[in-house]
Amino acid sequence: MAKKRTTGNAEKGEKKSTPVSARDKQTLTRLHDLADTVVTTAERSRDPFVDIPARALSNVRFNKSKRFIEMGGNTNRRQLFNLSQAKAYMQTMLVASGCKTLIDQQKSTSIRGLFYLLKHTIEGAKEETFATQDECDPIIEDVEVMLNSLREELHLYAKKAGDMVGPIVLVDRGDEIDCSRMGSGGYGVPSIVEPDVIQFKKCDAKFILHVEKDTVWQRFNEDRFWRKHNCILTHGSGQPPRGVRRMLYRLHNELKLPVYCLLDNDPWGYYIYSVVKQGSINLAFESKRMAIPDAKYLGLRSKDFERCQLSNSVKIQLNDTDAKRAKQIADYPWFADKKAWQKEIELMLSNGFKLEVESLISKDISYVTEEYVPARLRDQDWLD
Amino acid sequence: MPSLAVSPPFPQMKHARNSDARRSDLIGETELATSSQDSSASTAEKGQNGSANGAAHDSNGHEPPAASNGSARKRRATAESMAASQRDISVSEFFAKNRHLLGFDNPRKALLTTIKEAVDNSLDACEEGGILPEVWVHVEQTSPNRFKVGIQDNGPGILKAQIPNIFGKLLYGSKFHRLRMSRGQQGIGISAAGMYGVLTTGKPVKIISKVSPRKPAHYYEIQIDTKKNRPEILNGKGEGVDIPPGESGRKVIEKHEIEWIELDHGTRVTIELEARYQRGRGSVDEYLEQTAIANPHVTLHYVDPEGNETLYERSTTDLPPEPKEIKPHPYGVELGRLMTMLKDTKASTLSQFLTTSFSRVSPGVARKICETAKLSVRASTTKIGRHEADSLFQAIQQTKIGSPATDCLVPIGEELLLKGLHKVVPGEFYVAATRPPAVYRGNPFVIEAALAYGGVSTAQKISLEALTEVLSESDARSLRQFLISTFNGMGSEGAEKILKEADLGQRMSPGKLKPPEIAKLHTAMRSVSLEDGQTMNVMRFANRVPLQFQPGACAITQTIAGTNWRAYGLTQSRGALPNGPVTIMVHMASVWVPFTSESKEAVASYPEIQKELRLALQAVGRKLSMYLRRRLRVKQEGERRNVFLRYLGEVATAVSSINQSDRDKLYERLVNVAKRKTAEADVKLDKSGNKILEDEEEDFGDNVLIVKQPDLDAGLPSPS
Repeated sequence: MAKKRTTGNAEKGEKKSTPVSARDKQTLTRLHDLADTVVTTAERSRDPFVDIPARALSNVRFNKSKRFIEMGGNTNRRQLFNLSQAKAYMQTMLVASGCKTLIDQQKSTSIRGLFYLLKHTIEGAKEETFATQDECDPIIEDVEVMLNSLREELHLYAKKAGDMVGPIVLVDRGDEIDCSRMGSGGYGVPSIVEPDVIQFKKCDAKFILHVEKDTVWQRFNEDRFWRKHNCILTHGSGQPPRGVRRMLYRLHNELKLPVYCLLDNDPWGYYIYSVVKQGSINLAFESKRMAIPDAKYLGLRSKDFERCQLSNSVKIQLNDTDAKRAKQIADYPWFADKKAWQKEIELMLSNGFKLEVESLISKDISYVTEEYVPARLRDQDWLD
Repeated sequence: MPSLAVSPPFPQMKHARNSDARRSDLIGETELATSSQDSSASTAEKGQNGSANGAAHDSNGHEPPAASNGSARKRRATAESMAASQRDISVSEFFAKNRHLLGFDNPRKALLTTIKEAVDNSLDACEEGGILPEVWVHVEQTSPNRFKVGIQDNGPGILKAQIPNIFGKLLYGSKFHRLRMSRGQQGIGISAAGMYGVLTTGKPVKIISKVSPRKPAHYYEIQIDTKKNRPEILNGKGEGVDIPPGESGRKVIEKHEIEWIELDHGTRVTIELEARYQRGRGSVDEYLEQTAIANPHVTLHYVDPEGNETLYERSTTDLPPEPKEIKPHPYGVELGRLMTMLKDTKASTLSQFLTTSFSRVSPGVARKICETAKLSVRASTTKIGRHEADSLFQAIQQTKIGSPATDCLVPIGEELLLKGLHKVVPGEFYVAATRPPAVYRGNPFVIEAALAYGGVSTAQKISLEALTEVLSESDARSLRQFLISTFNGMGSEGAEKILKEADLGQRMSPGKLKPPEIAKLHTAMRSVSLEDGQTMNVMRFANRVPLQFQPGACAITQTIAGTNWRAYGLTQSRGALPNGPVTIMVHMASVWVPFTSESKEAVASYPEIQKELRLALQAVGRKLSMYLRRRLRVKQEGERRNVFLRYLGEVATAVSSINQSDRDKLYERLVNVAKRKTAEADVKLDKSGNKILEDEEEDFGDNVLIVKQPDLDAGLPSPS
């Protein structure tokens, strides 16, 4: 531990030489306050604790006027002197100190990197501070909500998982990127897309088509759909990461581009749409800067099996968990009073099967890009 | 009481030996039907009646088996030719052939049984004579498979005239015909040992006995005439010899290779027999150790074949009170016995007979019995026929008769049980319980149980040299078997763990291990914690005699396995002995212990006995669970403190790296909070149970012994 302290001192020396942005200063103050409360409670010989806003369905509220999910005021108290919470408390403090180190050194790391930075054997025990990354990730989210700081403000980023292509030019850390000249790969959306990192330079696109996953995105890119229809094409590898959601939000709000989603016809696809539109339950505190209440659900629809006359072989049976999840989603307050959605979910349940976007390939390889999506856009046939 | 006829015919022997004989009938049956012990008792009654009928049939005359068959086919034997080969069987002949019934199944067990019978006799004699027993046991190897065993006591000695019969005749003794708590019961043991010695080595039994310092010691060389069940005295022209006092006498004794220890009075018996000496479970060493536990008033000197001397010194100088002799209780008497008693009695009237021959029968009770049996109180005992005896027997069962007196029993007592167990079994917690007397089949008995928890297992105590030696002696076929059979409390799980740790094959032969492999095994045995894989070590005693064999057939083991020990904080699979570092000793004291066989290895399962056993086990179990709960709580408190302390350092470092506060000062403060917090929690726990610590210690009662163990809490990690 003595060794650790000396590296801490070295950081201090380093800190003086690097300029710190106003945003970082704010984060540092919050971290400082957190540490100071520990010291003062210990001085008063009380047991230290932290209150962490609860990240659960019970603590989110659907704001009808803003049309997105907001976090409620419930908090969970985490105490140092509670047998079941002692370790989590220790881990919370470790994550906070790790973020402080990152800010001091003006570096950012992945959440996995932070896990490695903080993972060590506890002195005098055979126990690791963090056994797996699964133990570390929720603690990081705890620290985010507790400090009311965004992940990027803590100098952390997640694995990037999402690509973008289309008639738009942007600047990423000073590099100009023309997203219409990205070849077959597209522009990988970074996990931090804040205005100080990415600025939009020029945009000719009229709308955004967000598809569920990479394979579908490849189909649209190869068919140069975005060029034909003058749009931005994105995907988020399933549940879109924060970077992609934030990017969609900025494109939607700053460039006024409508967002259309093409997702699988299953509870999972519905929930992706729900997250893009209203925000996620887990990250409800970020809804205000990520949710796009005007996003539309283009397909696939439960009725598409009949409408597009698909073959029987593309059906995937709904299993029990699917059915359960579908009912759960139908009960979410933000779906509950939408008749079209209730009908949609009911139909899927009565169908007894789900459909993937790729199933349209059974009609024709480019059926989805040449007929399905253009027809939906033309007819303004979507769910809201 | 009349002694047995010189060579009683087999049926008669059965008759005389009564309830005892029927047990020998049942040996096979009992072993087969161990799970349904309750029913085997009733089967026993039938078996008895059956054999009685058979005997009657025999005495009426022998009918040729094929006589009723009218066919003209040629018969293999005629009634006459068969009669030629039909003759008496002497008891000694019978047991010479069936020596396994007496515990002489193999050379190893023969050694143990011989020593056991001799020591039991010595202790009985000393106690009867009111002498604090001191016993010397000497085992010496004379040739590869022969051992000379000498056992001497400081008892009152045996009269010259009685020596030949006691040591040279089966079924001769003082203990069979009375109801009194003693180690020996039948008068078979020591003479059978002598017979076995003569049979296997041809050497006679040598006895020296001295009854008074003023009289010379007698010396006899005896062997048993198995055909006639009669002693044959070999020295002094069939009269034995007197050993002159002083130097000349010593020379005589030395000449006969006897290690006589000079005493005012006492007896030494020397038997040479074919035997095998082996340590471990079921060994002579184990027997003596357990005898010392159950007899804290005895001093034992033991010289093993290697010449090592072991001394078990008495821990009390109080001789147990002398057990009283009682008359049989009417409920415990069968029809046949009743008829014999009627024939033998000196009483003239039925009422007199009932009141004088039985305990708990007052003239009033006798009248009631007679009324129910529709017999006159004044009926002459000589005129009671078979039919009348039967109705008398039925009447006894129907009449309410008080339980037999129980002051004839001398239990070891809780205090001495604890002392004895603590002396020999290492542990941290001891508890004992003595049940109030109870009655089975008219015989009073007392069950006692004592339990030791914790401590190091024998497998971890053994030295490398001892292990090497035990390995070379073992006749186990595999290492796994060796470990399980040699060490108490070692289960198959524990043995497998050790072998895995030592990286040795389970099937390796124990005799073929090389020194480095033995060393590996030794370190593995020391390092592997057996606490989980250990099964309960059970020590069984009947009238202070250890029972070392046939645990599965014994009511004690069965009741232990049938008790739910999980309720008392031990782990246990269904129907098996519980696991854990536990030693339990169970003692049954009774005027007549119902053994399942003559070799006195297992107690028969009478429901009344099982019930008392269960209650005694529950009594010690409850105390054990109290202790384990407390132990667990102390451990949890320690763990809780440790959990906090473990993380405090990390928290202090993290916090100080954020706000540059003094890490050590913060750590110290947090540690203080932690100490206060856990102390608070401890107090709360006590209050919730409405107990404070001192009270709880008293709660255990006075039949408990707790040995302070080194603190379970690991010390606080120093603030670095």
